[in-house]
Amino acid sequence: MAANPSYGPRPWTFYVLATLFALFVVFLYGPMIAVLILSFQGPSASLVFPLRDPSLMWFDELFNPRRVGDVVGAFSRSLPLALMVMVLTVLISVSAGFAFRRRFLGSSLIFYTAIASLIVPGLVLSIGTLVTFRYLGLSASWYTSALGAHLSWALPFGLLIMFAVLGRLNPSYEEAAYDLGASRWQTLKDVVVPIVFPGMIAVALFGFTLSYDEFPRSWLTVGTKNTLPLEIWTMTTNVTSPALYALGTVTTVVSFVVIALALGSIVIIQRRRSTRE
Amino acid sequence: MSFTLNPKSAPKLDAQASGEIRLVNVTKRFDVTHAVKDINLTIPHGSYCCLLGPSGCGKTTILRMIAGHETPTSGQIYIGDQMVVGKAPVERGTAMMFQNYALFPHLTILDNVAFYLKMRGVGKDQRRKRAHQMLERVQLDHLRNRMPAQLSGGQQQRVALARALITNPRVLLLDEPLSALDEFLRLQMRGELKTLQAELGITFVHVTHTQPEAIALADTVVVMDHGRIDQAGTANEIFNWPTTPYVARFMGGQNVLTGTVESASGAMARLRGPRGELFDAPLSPAPTIGTPVSIAIRRDRIHVGRVPGEKAELQPNSVAGVVESTEFQGNFVKVNILVEGGGPFVANVSDEEYFGELVKPGDRVVPRWNPEHVHVLSKADSNNAQKPYSEE
Repeated sequence: MAANPSYGPRPWTFYVLATLFALFVVFLYGPMIAVLILSFQGPSASLVFPLRDPSLMWFDELFNPRRVGDVVGAFSRSLPLALMVMVLTVLISVSAGFAFRRRFLGSSLIFYTAIASLIVPGLVLSIGTLVTFRYLGLSASWYTSALGAHLSWALPFGLLIMFAVLGRLNPSYEEAAYDLGASRWQTLKDVVVPIVFPGMIAVALFGFTLSYDEFPRSWLTVGTKNTLPLEIWTMTTNVTSPALYALGTVTTVVSFVVIALALGSIVIIQRRRSTRE
Repeated sequence: MSFTLNPKSAPKLDAQASGEIRLVNVTKRFDVTHAVKDINLTIPHGSYCCLLGPSGCGKTTILRMIAGHETPTSGQIYIGDQMVVGKAPVERGTAMMFQNYALFPHLTILDNVAFYLKMRGVGKDQRRKRAHQMLERVQLDHLRNRMPAQLSGGQQQRVALARALITNPRVLLLDEPLSALDEFLRLQMRGELKTLQAELGITFVHVTHTQPEAIALADTVVVMDHGRIDQAGTANEIFNWPTTPYVARFMGGQNVLTGTVESASGAMARLRGPRGELFDAPLSPAPTIGTPVSIAIRRDRIHVGRVPGEKAELQPNSVAGVVESTEFQGNFVKVNILVEGGGPFVANVSDEEYFGELVKPGDRVVPRWNPEHVHVLSKADSNNAQKPYSEE
């Protein structure tokens, strides 16, 4: 037979799964790449391929709003909102995660109550929040009602991640710290938080991105001024220029920068630890 | 019951630093189950004590109560002359080595060892210098900048040891310290632990479920079962003079037989087994006729003879059985025998004797022994069907 040892052909399932994965990648990155390319469209202002006379004019248009909406203003609300959601999600998820490590009366009830808000449709929650605020005589704004609505979305994810992370944290680390004379605070600061830190970064990332591109829960809760996803939505209905693509490119880049910063900080911290003299 | 043990050598009497451990009527309940029931135990200062028993017998709970990681439901624990219940480990002068070592994964080896000093507010240079010295002592100074995950199991164990010893404890508590190591390392570390204990002169309490480990290391072996102490004594006492059928079986090396007293003359009593076998046992004072008595005979005191004819009269101090299997162990052969209508019976036959008169599985044999090798147990086996502990 053949001179080379053969371990048999690849099974047909390999080709099926490889095709499936290729399609997945195309659907994931294809639209993003299309938007990225078309954001450099020339003055022909065509919204479709091909790309003619590449230029940066639509980015310029974006930051000089003559015809486009208030992109800069929307961004100046979306970014602080996402950062607030991020910080609060981390703080609340981590402390809740610690509380849930010891079973207490009603813990499952509280857990399911928190997780249930994932099932409630975002638009319904948005309406409900607005109605409640009206009833209480409060005015809706991005830093009050929208913040709450976003937390109802980001917190369950943060909780689930923290439960998984802390569930794997061996209690003997804390016992060892106690055995070596650490106070509760020292145990938290010098042992537990450093060990679960990568999990906390993951929670922070979820908190940020879930808020940053949230549409349904922002819809009626932001009050009179739009956040970025709402602004984009408004623009799709009345702006018909590649400025829309330029906006898509800019927001995607911001998301990537945030993720890169987070992952980069993990790598730097770990490197500093392993080479520390 | 109370167990007080004499140390191998006279303890250095220093009231301040005494590592004598005294458990007085200690009970620990988890919800409704008793993990530890009314334990009284004294471990002398500077001795090596092994808590031995199957999993779930309460040995780890005792260790954790001494360490301060578990609070007894009732009873007192003294270290030196100090009642330590409710005190933090550092105040107790104990240090614990955890089963999985629990080295902090985010700290270098040096910082792991220096952790205790950091918690006490010792300055960076000072604490690293002392951690250096401690690492030199366990011959790991060259690895000080590695992370725990980059170390082998044996190295991790030494780091855990260094991290515990830097607290300068009176008592070192070891929770199954050798169970994560392979056979070769286990034997090596076993030797090192023993040497270290002798060198430091502090009390070591070592939890294990491995009998040879306990026998090799301990000045005092405490055999536990179901939250109680069955027997506490030197390794020699526990191995050769077990007091209960449980200890005799758990330690291995012994065959347990039970019979009722048929007659007594002088210091010897004659027992009759359930199938009419006769055993002689040194019993004084003379027991009442009809009392059930259990005896133990060491495996290596058994002679295995083949049955000459079909119907041989069974001599006293022997039983009849069939060879189930044989295992060659190097300098002896372990012969597993199924006694007719009874349980397993093991004879460790010297290789000379074995190869002189070869027995094979299926052979009918009569294991016999010299009555002077019979050891009478203080409790009779209740002949219960349950055999909770398998061989080795």
